[in-house]
Amino acid sequence: MSAELGTPIQGVTLYSFTRAFHAREYDLEALIRKVAADGYGPGLEVIGFSSFRGFPEIDDRFAGWFRDLVDEVGLVTTSLAVNADIGIHRDRLLTQDELIEYMRRQIVAAAKLGFPIARVQISLTPDSMEQLAPIAEEHGVTLALEVHADQYASHPRILALRDRYEQVGSPFLGFTADWGATVTGFAPSLLEAYRRRGASEELLAKVVDLWNGFYQQGPPADQAEHGQRFGAFIGLAAQNGRPDLGIDFAINGTGLFGPARVDDWLEIMPWIRHVHGKFFGIDEQGEEPSVPVRDLIALLVQNGYTGAVSSEYEGWHWNHWQSPFDIIAGEQAVQRSAAEAAGSRMITDGAEARRILDAHLAQPVRG
Amino acid sequence: MIPDRIIEPNTLTTDGRRAEVEVRIPWYRALPGSCIAGAVLRIDGVPAAEDSLRWTMNGRTFRFEELVDEIGEWWFPTDSAVLSGEVPVKAGDAEHRVDVDLKLYIPYIVIGENEVLHIEEHDTKTMKAVAA
Repeated sequence: MSAELGTPIQGVTLYSFTRAFHAREYDLEALIRKVAADGYGPGLEVIGFSSFRGFPEIDDRFAGWFRDLVDEVGLVTTSLAVNADIGIHRDRLLTQDELIEYMRRQIVAAAKLGFPIARVQISLTPDSMEQLAPIAEEHGVTLALEVHADQYASHPRILALRDRYEQVGSPFLGFTADWGATVTGFAPSLLEAYRRRGASEELLAKVVDLWNGFYQQGPPADQAEHGQRFGAFIGLAAQNGRPDLGIDFAINGTGLFGPARVDDWLEIMPWIRHVHGKFFGIDEQGEEPSVPVRDLIALLVQNGYTGAVSSEYEGWHWNHWQSPFDIIAGEQAVQRSAAEAAGSRMITDGAEARRILDAHLAQPVRG
Repeated sequence: MIPDRIIEPNTLTTDGRRAEVEVRIPWYRALPGSCIAGAVLRIDGVPAAEDSLRWTMNGRTFRFEELVDEIGEWWFPTDSAVLSGEVPVKAGDAEHRVDVDLKLYIPYIVIGENEVLHIEEHDTKTMKAVAA
């Protein structure tokens, strides 16, 4: 526990609004203006390859337009989500040199657009992160590798990264904690989506039982155990006459709903530079029924976390019957309430958020 | 994923020999041509001959084998691409069932040695055909 309570910065990733953007209901400018006007900020996270045409090539004029817009509406750019497209060539994976160059271009784009953090993904090894550290430092962009189900903070691959960070000692290497690693139940809104696709109550009860059993066992020890669990969902669907749902059960049951405990994050807490407030829905009581949002916010507050939490609504994949905008507002209300219950508050003012984020990223790692 | 939006409503056109339809990416982020691995176009259950299929995006038209090495042109999430092929359909007031299968590689999700995730998505919509 930290001596000082944390004050996480409220924010959102535009990924939460994927269906609205994809449907051309809001273009990038309209979406950013809506985020500001409806109070989903001040933190703003964007996925480069989703929102910026031609990414990672960003010309000066576009970068200027984007930064002016963000300033005008009072938002604060937090994280630019970038991708390690190792398989971009059909016949081979990128070489190590090609990969580093591919990531360098995206780090440059993050700096140009005013993002102090680039979210990177697990396909980057400890060696790659070490190689990228000087590039990150040169551009003043912190690389926050996302810890996402089916991994979790104490997973061997994550601990190997953490140990390398400690060795390298660069303040520009860290993690993005994705709350999907620490889920407490199979999301009810996804069960409702399966119901609407004709899944029987009996089958859905078995899916929930299977997931609950994995939750009791804790997260998979390694990729082999992950594979066994993946297969168990496929088998369950096949045995119950719905083989068409098997892959869907498996991908979501293992890759979205990770069964680690909330305090598992303590393994990497000093290196957490950014948080994805992954969630799937809000129930009639105004609570997130399968992600322990209150416990997760309390953990961040108690450990002095002053970075941003990007609300990351993932229910859009299956929930076509409710507005994502209302659901995200509901989840952020839970976050604010939880921060107050923990004796602190979420930062919702843009200027204050900018100050606090600068300090959060400049501070040396407390190992 | 967004498979329900692959086929753009009411975009079926025909010149009597070839038919084409606008298609949307069922994924949240842009992908390069190299990740667009294949498609099937069926009108009223009749598939367009595989070697007649063409893919048009960003003003350029490709055969699928030409997309394999294409990392310069990207399919952006709000853009329509055009899938066309030789399949007979008459323009007019009759409703036609359009089926599109799409196979995409997801280049950042590595699932094995030299292997990345691929997804196969399908959409069906009914619409009239308009003369090209």
